[in-house]
Amino acid sequence: MSSAASQAYLNTRVSVMATRLFGPGVIAELAQQDLAQLAERFVLPSVLDEAVSVRARSRAVEQALIQTLLAELAILARPMAAGERALVLNWGRKYALFNLKTLIRGKLYDLDQKEIRENLYDLPPRVRVPDQELFRAENVLELLRQLERGPYSLIARQAREIFEQRREPFALEATIDQRYYAGLVRQVMQFHDDNLRPLQELVGALLDRVDLLWLLRFRFAYQLSPSETFYQLVPSFRLLHRERLLKLVNLESFERVLEALPPPLDRMMAGSTNLIEVQRRIGRHTCEEANRILRHSRSGVARALAYLILREIDLMALFSLIQGQLLGLPNDLVAIAIEVADASCPIGTLTAKAA
Amino acid sequence: MLRPLPMKHVRLLVLTEDLPQASLTLAETESFHADTRPPTEDRLSGVPGRDYRELFQQARSRLEKIGKLVPLEAEPELREVRVVPEPELARINDWLGKVWNECSRYEEQFRALDDEERLVREQEAALANFADLNIDLGLLRSKTRFLDFYIGIVPRENLRQLEGAVGLASHILHIYMVRGEHAHVVIAGPAGTREAQLGSVLTAAGFQNLPIPPELNRQPEVIREELARRRAGIETERVALHKRLAEWSGSFTGRLHEAQQVLLLAEPFVTLDPSIRSAGYLASLSGWVPARAVAELETRLRQSLAHPFAAESRNPLPEERPLVPTVPVRNRLLQPFALLVKQYGIPQYGEVDPTPLFAVTFLLMFGTMFGDVGQGAVIAGLAWYFREKLGRLYLFGVLAGASSILFGFLFGSIFGYEHVLPALWMSPLHDPILMLKLALVWGVLFLAIACSLAIYNRAAIGNWSGAVFGHHGLINLIFYLALVWGGVRLGTSGEFGTWPALLVVGSLAALAVHGWRHLEAPVGEKVLVVFIETLETVIGYVSNTLSFLRVAAFSLNHVALAIAIFTLAGMMDTFGHILTIVLGNVFMIVLEGGIVMIQVLRLEFYEGFARYFSGDGHEFAPLRLRRAEKPRVADSG
Repeated sequence: MSSAASQAYLNTRVSVMATRLFGPGVIAELAQQDLAQLAERFVLPSVLDEAVSVRARSRAVEQALIQTLLAELAILARPMAAGERALVLNWGRKYALFNLKTLIRGKLYDLDQKEIRENLYDLPPRVRVPDQELFRAENVLELLRQLERGPYSLIARQAREIFEQRREPFALEATIDQRYYAGLVRQVMQFHDDNLRPLQELVGALLDRVDLLWLLRFRFAYQLSPSETFYQLVPSFRLLHRERLLKLVNLESFERVLEALPPPLDRMMAGSTNLIEVQRRIGRHTCEEANRILRHSRSGVARALAYLILREIDLMALFSLIQGQLLGLPNDLVAIAIEVADASCPIGTLTAKAA
Repeated sequence: MLRPLPMKHVRLLVLTEDLPQASLTLAETESFHADTRPPTEDRLSGVPGRDYRELFQQARSRLEKIGKLVPLEAEPELREVRVVPEPELARINDWLGKVWNECSRYEEQFRALDDEERLVREQEAALANFADLNIDLGLLRSKTRFLDFYIGIVPRENLRQLEGAVGLASHILHIYMVRGEHAHVVIAGPAGTREAQLGSVLTAAGFQNLPIPPELNRQPEVIREELARRRAGIETERVALHKRLAEWSGSFTGRLHEAQQVLLLAEPFVTLDPSIRSAGYLASLSGWVPARAVAELETRLRQSLAHPFAAESRNPLPEERPLVPTVPVRNRLLQPFALLVKQYGIPQYGEVDPTPLFAVTFLLMFGTMFGDVGQGAVIAGLAWYFREKLGRLYLFGVLAGASSILFGFLFGSIFGYEHVLPALWMSPLHDPILMLKLALVWGVLFLAIACSLAIYNRAAIGNWSGAVFGHHGLINLIFYLALVWGGVRLGTSGEFGTWPALLVVGSLAALAVHGWRHLEAPVGEKVLVVFIETLETVIGYVSNTLSFLRVAAFSLNHVALAIAIFTLAGMMDTFGHILTIVLGNVFMIVLEGGIVMIQVLRLEFYEGFARYFSGDGHEFAPLRLRRAEKPRVADSG
C-alpha cells in the first residue's frame, strides 16, 4: 500500500472508529443503568458472574476493557509506517509498565507468585515488555540482575538502592513513568514531516496534564523539594516547557503555582482548591485538545493517537462506573470518579493519604 | 509422492488418572498432532493438569537458569520411558529451587565483581583525565564546611534533567568526560540543608560516586598501580569463584541430569495440556494422526493404559481441511528442496506437494542455464566440503552442481572451454534458435502442468467451479493450449487455423460470461472489468510463456561470457592468461551462478507456485519426547 493510500485508509479507519466515542451525556446516561444493562450493552458477561469475588469481577472487567482498547490500537497500528507504529505501540505500553511496577513491588515485598500473577494484565505480545524473565525471578536480587540486563538497566541502580536501604519504591515507579513519557517525547521528535506539529500538540497536551498533576502532587502532597520534583517531570512541547517548570517547582504554595501557570491554564485552573478539581479541569483540557486533533488534523497517526486517548478515557470512565456499582459505592462518589460532578475533596485529605 | 499422507481425526476418551501415561504413549508413537479445538460437549469443560503444568514450568525455568551457570547435557539420553507422577515433579522442583537459590548467590557474586571492575575502569579513566590538571585534587576528596560536591558517573540520558534539578538545589553540574553511555561529572554547590534533597535526585538519576584517592595529587603512579592491582585481584577472585562453583556443582551433576530427564518425560503431558478437557474422571483429547499409524497408536495405548479407553477415528471433514496438518516430505534427497518450498508455504492438506516437481524442474532448468562440467564440479565440491556448515542445504548444492556437470557433458563445456570435451549433444551457441524453441516448448509444458495441478487441487477439495472457471482452471488451460496450437500452426503453415481460433474465442467467451455473472456492479463497470480481465488472460499467458526464453538466454549467455573471458585471456601473457581464466571462472560461478539460481527460483515461484500452490497449510508437528532419535512416521510416500 502506498503512503498516500495507507494515510487515507488510516484516516478512514479512525473516522469510523471515532463513532464509538461516547457523545455528550452518554456517561451520565450510563450512570443511570444497572449492572445487567451495562453488561449486556458492552458485552461484559464477567460482571454478572456471581460465582467469583467482587475483586475478581472488577479485575475481569478492567482486563476486558483494556483488551478492547489494545485490540483497537492493533487495528490502527497495522497500516502505519514503522515510526508511526512504534509511537502508537509505545503509548499502549503504559499497561505493560503497570505490570512492571507490580512485578517490582511484588518482588521487593516478597509477595507470593500467585498473588503477583493475579495482579498482572494479560497483554498482547506487541505491547508487552519482556516481563516474563522478571516474573520468573525468585528473589529480589535476581530481579535486580534481570533489570540490569534488560531495557530497564537505567532504573536498576535506583531499584538496588531502594532494596538495600529498605525504602518505599514510590520514587522508582515515578522514574518508570518519567522514562515512559520521555520515550514518547523522543519518538515524536523523530518525525520530520507534517505529522510532527500535530503530534507535538497532542503529546504536549498529555505532558501538560501529567506535569501539572505531578508537580502539584510531588511538591504539595508528598512534600518533595523543588529539585526532586523537577527531576521527575518531563518538559512539555507546549505550555509547561523546561524553563517554566524550573520556575513553577520553586513556588511555595499550591495557589501560587496555579496563579503562575501560563494562559490558558491559568484561566482554567483559577479558583481550584484541590488536586481532584485540577485533575478534572486539566483532564477536560486534554480531552478538548485530543478532540480538536481528531476532528481537524490531517495527520493519520496524530488522529489515531487522539482517538486512542479519548477512547481510553471513555473506557476508564465506564470501568469506574461498573466498579462503583460492584463495590456498592454511593452514586455521588461514583459521579466524581467519572467526572460528571464537581469534586470537593480538600488537598489536605490527599496529603494525609500520601503520608 | 505428490499426494499428501492421508490423515485421520482421532478422539480419545481416557480416565483422568491415565492422562500422563496416555500423553507419554502418544509422544512415544510420534504420530499424534494435537487438535486444540474444545470438544462440542459442554460437560467436558474442565482443564485438568493445571498444577502439574505450573510445577513443570517453574522447574524448567529453574533448570534453564541453573544451566546458565552449570553445564548441562544438550540432549540427555532417556534411559527409560515412564510416567512422572506429580509428587515426583514437585520434589524435583523443590530441589531445583534450592540449587537455584545457591546458584543465584554465585550469580550475585559474579555481578558484584563485574560492577566493581567497571567502577575501577571508570576510576582509571578519571585518573588519566586528572593527570594533567595542575590543581590540588586533594581538596576534592572530602566535603568542606562550605562546599558540597560529588564526583562520579551518570547515564548520559539523565544528564539534562539532572542539570536542571541540581540547579534548583543551588548546585552546578560540570561534565568533564564522556565515556560510552556514561558521563563523568562534578556537581558542586554550597553545603547546607539541600544535600539530602540532592541525594535522592542523584539516586533517581543513577549517579555513581567515584572516590578520589588521597595520593592522587602527589603520586598518581601509585594510584595507577593500585587500580591495576585491584583489577588483577578481581580477576583472581572471579577465577576462584568459577572454581568454587565447579566444585560445588560437581557434587550433584548426576542428579541434575536426572532432573533433566524427568522434565523431558513430563513435557508431553504439559504440551498436550491445552487440548485436554475433562468432566470428573473422564478426559477427552483429540488430534490428527496419519491413517497408517492409527492402528499402532491404539495398540500401544491398549498395552500401556491401566484402564479402558475409547478411541474414535474418522476422515477429516471438508470444512476441517485447513486444520489438518500436512506431513512434510521425508525423502533425504528432497529435503533441501522442501526447505525452499517451505519459504513459500506449507501445502494445505489435500493439495499436491510441489516438492518433487520443484526438485526435478529446478535441476533441469539450473543445469540448462549453467551447464559446465568444471564449474558444476566446483559447486558440488564446495557444497560437499562445507556440508557441516550448510546442514541439509549441502545436498541442494551437490545436486545443483551434478545437474550442471550433466548438462556440461551435453554441451561439451568445461571451465568455459568448449573444445576440450566432445559435446554429447551440442554447444548452445551452435544453434541458438533451436535453444530458444526448446525453451518455449519447456515453458508451455511447465505452464500446462502447473494449470493441471491447479485444476486437480481445486477438484480434490470439491471446488468444481474453481477447477473449471477459476484462475488457471480448465477453461484457461483449453484457451492456452488452443493458443499454442494456433501459434504453432501460424509459425509452420502461416495460418492460425479454424479449430484453434474457435477454441480460443469460445474459452475466452466462457471466461467472460462467467466473470460477468459473478460481478456485481453497474453495466459500464462490468463491461470494463470483464474486458480488462479477458485481455489480461491473453497477455498473461503469452508473457508467461515468453518468460521461459530466459532458460535458453542464460545458456547462451553462459557460453558468451566464457568467450569474453577467453578473448581477454588471449590478450595476456601466460601468467595473465591463467589468472584471467581462473578469476573469470570464479566470477562466473559466483555472479552468474547466483543470478541463474535467482532466475530459476523466480520461474518456479512466480510461474509455477503462484498458479497452483496455496501454501497456507500447516506442518505436522507430533507430540514427541525430545530425544535424539529418528521419527517413526515414514515418508509421505
